Amino acid sequence: MYMNKRLIEGKNAIITGCARGIGKSIVEVLASNGANIWACARTKSTDFENYLQDLSKKHNVTIKAIYFDLSNKEEMKNAVKQIIADKNNIDILVNNAGITYNSLFQMSTQNKIDEVMNVNFTAPFLFTQYIVKLMLKRNMGSIINISSSAALDGNAGRAVYGASKAALLCATKALAAELGDQGIRANVIAPGITETDMLESMTEDVIRETVMNTDLKRSGKPTDIANAVLYLASDLSSYVTGQVLRVDGGM
Amino acid sequence: MILNSKNAIITGCVQGIGKATLEEFANNGANIWACALEYNAEFETYCKKLAEKNNIWIKPIYFNLLNQDEIKAGLKQISNDKLPIDILVNIAGITKDAITHMVTMDQMKFIFEINFFSQIYLTQFVTKLMIRQGYGSVVNTSSISAIDGNYGQLSYSSSKAALIGATKTLSKELASKGIRVNAIAPGVISTEMNRIVPDSIIQENIKKMKIKRLGKVDEVAKTILFLASDLSNYITGQIIRIDGGIK
Repeated sequence: MYMNKRLIEGKNAIITGCARGIGKSIVEVLASNGANIWACARTKSTDFENYLQDLSKKHNVTIKAIYFDLSNKEEMKNAVKQIIADKNNIDILVNNAGITYNSLFQMSTQNKIDEVMNVNFTAPFLFTQYIVKLMLKRNMGSIINISSSAALDGNAGRAVYGASKAALLCATKALAAELGDQGIRANVIAPGITETDMLESMTEDVIRETVMNTDLKRSGKPTDIANAVLYLASDLSSYVTGQVLRVDGGM
Repeated sequence: MILNSKNAIITGCVQGIGKATLEEFANNGANIWACALEYNAEFETYCKKLAEKNNIWIKPIYFNLLNQDEIKAGLKQISNDKLPIDILVNIAGITKDAITHMVTMDQMKFIFEINFFSQIYLTQFVTKLMIRQGYGSVVNTSSISAIDGNYGQLSYSSSKAALIGATKTLSKELASKGIRVNAIAPGVISTEMNRIVPDSIIQENIKKMKIKRLGKVDEVAKTILFLASDLSNYITGQIIRIDGGIK
């Protein structure tokens, strides 16, 4: 019964950062809800390809792997070309790929600042420019950018990471303001502490403390975030744009 | 079927956002205690048909939010069913626009009684049952005018802002009991409530929106559906604006 009432049946979605963590879960949730997907990742891997193939069979959707390094403009351009060559409409873009960086304000180096800003802000900004151009051909589309609660709260040790995610958040609001009358919605998800590899950069004490600071007293699962992406990607949110949705268990 | 076999209480089901939510929930497999102000034969028939179509049950429950005894009797009817209550959606509300110095204290208290105090009374009762079962999702209906302020809406915007404070406090108190509490803040939606607003003001509002049209009641209902369902399992204490990006 569930299968014949999928929320984004036949829609086409681009998702970045699909190899693991939240991105992997977004691919699963969107595929299980009927979307065809260009699943972007940095490095080619057979495991990843096999995984996508199994998923596409299971949910009867098309999933294509696209490889590019976010910090390499040429690779990004090629990726966009591959997507264009498929001659399919693009309904959904999820900018999920990102890197984490923990460092005290005074200890943050310029190299790291540049790298984090580039991967978490400049790259998704440029990538979105390409994709929005394609979406504008049909005046239709939903863009979901994965920011962070750190962008809103300004946590100790998260000056650079938080700033990069705050930049993305602001750009999303501006994008929503510019393109709302052209049928394109843009929203932000701000995950709190989520069970991904990124947690490996934090000590166990910090993780425990952060979890205890949530009202729900647990960390988020990648599917928690992916389900919020589904809401913003689908027509469930057709009158919602320029919003920031915290998926953080109440922090 | 996002709400398959969940049981939900929805208030204000006869028209507007409440009716759309009733439909959306029914279409997604929920059983519903559909609350309304007073007995209404047309509403009864409507609920019956909707239930049959979706193979669920819908029980109309009647009470006047101005009357605590009636609220209590209505809620007793629900608790006597001895079924789990997965979801509570507070939608019933009222508006009466007047510029600040024209608002009488009686009007103000009247609006607060319906939009705030009665909702708290009802929510206290229902969340007590939810605590016993150890889970639940509560969705309150606030308004963007609670966040932004709005000309002529002193009583309405204040009562809806009070609801935001209550939502956030409840979310903190009840999270450890497995209960999530969130609110929606609709913008300008095409409802009965807005039918009295002059067209010139509506047009002015649309100019301020990114999505250049009024919202539809089913668009509001769909966000309520999201917050009521397990799709939002890690979301609590949040206020979601459904406003077409109005500034």
